[in-house]
Amino acid sequence: MKRSRTFIRWFFLLIPCLALSGCWDRRELDEIAIVMGSGVDLTDDGQIELSLQIALPMGIQGNMQMAGKKKPVMLVSSKGTVSQDQIGQIQQQLSRRIFFGHRAVFIIGENFARHGVDQTLDTMLRFPDSRYNCFILTSKGATAKEVLNSPYPLEVIPSIGMKNMQVGKYTFAERIDKFLDSFAAKGFMPATGAIRLIKNGQESSFVIDGEAVYRENKLVGYLSGTHSKAFKLMRDQGSGMKIPVPIEPAGKLSTGMITADLLTTRREVRTFVSQGSPKIEVEFRAKGRIIANDTTLDLSKPANLSRAEQMLSNELQKMISGLIEQTQKEFQSDVLGFGDILHIQHPYAWKKLQTEWLDTYPEVPVKVLASIILERIGRTQKPGHLPK
Amino acid sequence: MRRKTGTSRFADKPFEDLGHISEPDVSDKLEDNERQIRTVFDKCADLVVRRLDLPGSVPCLAVYLNMLIDDTLWDEGVLKPLLNLDAEPQNADRFLEDMVIRLGSSMKPQIADNMPDIVRNIVQGSVVLFIEGQKRALRFFANTKLHRQLDEPVTEAIIRGPRIGFIENIDVNMSLLRQYIRSPLLKIERMSAGSVSQTEVTIAYLETYAPQSVIDEIYKRLERLNLESIISSGYVEELISDHPNSPFPTIQATERPDTVAASLIEGKAALLVSGTPMVLVMPITFWFGFQSVEDYFMSFIFATMLRWLRFTFAFMAMALPALFVAITTFHQEMIPTSLALSLAAAREVVPFPAMIETLIMETTFEALREAGVRLPRPVGQTISIVGALVIGQAAVQAGIISAPIIIVVSMTGIASFLLPHYGMSQAISLLRFGMVFLGGMFGLYGVVAGMIALLIHLSNLQSFGVPYLWPIAPFNRLGLMDVFIRVPWQYMKKRKWHKEQQLELDKS
Repeated sequence: MKRSRTFIRWFFLLIPCLALSGCWDRRELDEIAIVMGSGVDLTDDGQIELSLQIALPMGIQGNMQMAGKKKPVMLVSSKGTVSQDQIGQIQQQLSRRIFFGHRAVFIIGENFARHGVDQTLDTMLRFPDSRYNCFILTSKGATAKEVLNSPYPLEVIPSIGMKNMQVGKYTFAERIDKFLDSFAAKGFMPATGAIRLIKNGQESSFVIDGEAVYRENKLVGYLSGTHSKAFKLMRDQGSGMKIPVPIEPAGKLSTGMITADLLTTRREVRTFVSQGSPKIEVEFRAKGRIIANDTTLDLSKPANLSRAEQMLSNELQKMISGLIEQTQKEFQSDVLGFGDILHIQHPYAWKKLQTEWLDTYPEVPVKVLASIILERIGRTQKPGHLPK
Repeated sequence: MRRKTGTSRFADKPFEDLGHISEPDVSDKLEDNERQIRTVFDKCADLVVRRLDLPGSVPCLAVYLNMLIDDTLWDEGVLKPLLNLDAEPQNADRFLEDMVIRLGSSMKPQIADNMPDIVRNIVQGSVVLFIEGQKRALRFFANTKLHRQLDEPVTEAIIRGPRIGFIENIDVNMSLLRQYIRSPLLKIERMSAGSVSQTEVTIAYLETYAPQSVIDEIYKRLERLNLESIISSGYVEELISDHPNSPFPTIQATERPDTVAASLIEGKAALLVSGTPMVLVMPITFWFGFQSVEDYFMSFIFATMLRWLRFTFAFMAMALPALFVAITTFHQEMIPTSLALSLAAAREVVPFPAMIETLIMETTFEALREAGVRLPRPVGQTISIVGALVIGQAAVQAGIISAPIIIVVSMTGIASFLLPHYGMSQAISLLRFGMVFLGGMFGLYGVVAGMIALLIHLSNLQSFGVPYLWPIAPFNRLGLMDVFIRVPWQYMKKRKWHKEQQLELDKS
């Protein structure tokens, strides 16, 4: 009796093993083609081109006999009309099974992005082994294939370079799951980091600066310069950002600029709805420290410090309102997610507003308040280069 | 086998191979006795039958096996006093009793009155003295003290603690125990087992400390033993164990007297078997495999750390190769990217699947380990080190085995040596192979299923009535003080929790 019960226990333990998993699902590490990054482009003749950057383990340093003789990555691509089918086509070129489990970046080609992206994205992301925390980027001035094909001297595998750039806080980073969320949301437009190619003397490389702004499923433009900075501030990725600002006219010895390093930032959005029309107020507060002082002023004096704070606040205010104006007038796209906040704060009004939010947003009055508190001035005395 | 507490050391047995004893009674004629002894010990070259006259010209016959007798003891301790007995015995009926009183106690003179007893005594190393006109005989112990020196235990070396181990002689072993526990509460009950070998088996326990139900259970099981011979305690261990089919030991075998003494005070019972230095301690729980006697000798902080180290490495010893195989063949997305790439690079030239690779290396490792034990000591170490290096290095360079596998296997090897008890480490080494299979066939799902199966198995085990996972399942707060941590001695309430355990056992 007891024996048969034990047997039944083991039996039921092992049966689900066979049903749920099994040797037929096995794939060795040398039987898979590890995709490090992928990209999708629209060719001039209207076809979709899919490119995969595949790691070649033999070419990676550390495997000492092989290092240096082979390339660390290979790029495969295929053209067609449906992207799902192209993965099958690429698979035909490869002796190993395509494996998306380690994909670090997904790049949308500029041309493709301008024609709308959602359909392809779904087919690309529907793979069970594809990661949702992979970063999404939009290429600028180049195709995704060119970007993926570009070498990157600092990392063995260029895609890992892109990923590490995104992990560090100096570029705007968007992961695929958030990106898809913003596709589904009505009050929140998608945005991604923008990647472009640069030439560094002989060597070509890539850089991620600025952001690509989408309106619904189409790319409408790129943010750059101070607007790009302001965008990161508004998306809570602004800590560690350096803000230079002139606080006195340039003199013989100095440029009159100070630079603040933001330690913490806080963004508060208040929305008001009066007679069916929305109004938005953005309050931005930051704490920072001075990391460069190229002026004749001694910031340890409270008067000078509050002057610096004042100037910095003004600068932040200018940056943010400039950004909002650009998104309203030029892009007509609510990438900052004011609609979502409106939804939370005024759920009943939003019910009426959401249908035409795309058209309403450019007209919504936005008031921006910004303030900064300088917690440290970086040194205890006045600037060292000035005559005593 | 029957329990005896009286003076007689050995119980009567219904079945015993003592040869051909035609007449169980002792004859009063020396010739009859001699003839019978000579037929029983036919072709025993070491039998000595010697006629001598006691003072007052009482003829008598000394019988013994030459090889078992200490000659000087026999000469000085028995023969001399016997021959020097000055006065003649007054009473023929009380002759033997008189002799027993007058002879020295070192020889333990005793009276034997039947032939089977006498034969048994002779094979156990006594000198039997038949006396003309007496229907009884005298016997003296004159055993050779043939045993090796007390030595440091080889299999259970520790840094801090006594450097003494049990040896093959059961008397010495018992005196070692007595030296640790000087109390009349320490009960030592002897019996003999094995119909031919007549091996001495001793149960030691502390009265009122050890639960009576456990002691009774041990006796019950010992009675069921039906063996011709017992050469080592391993025979007994397997036969009285609760679950001989389980890889996990339910009886601890140790050669450290301090371990046994501490266990006795914890209310356990010990079984000493003559001719083997391994003493059996029971009942035990699963956690004994992670406790070393040294834990109690060193600072409780380090002891606790060491315990956790053992738990971690025991897990590794069992699951690391399986996890490696499962993750690299089923769940590559779980590996950090750069590690995945270097693992993939290492696998490029290897012809076998990861599971086969692991099994090859694990088998090789076990073989090397076993060879290291068997090889003569001077060559042993050299061979195992060179073997490991050569096989490891060469296999990788030849592209047969990938380097990460070697790392995993050697980690596992180290991990399995971290367990202080050989039985537990053997169990884990064995289960490792099963786990690798599960990992290679079913991935992490299989490994987890294997773990669950093991847990079910463990919670089903019992050791002499004590649940194997006690005090975790069934839960006992006091018992926890000595499982995952070793609490300082002043807070350790071992006595109390053993009382609790005892109550629980007596209930069921």
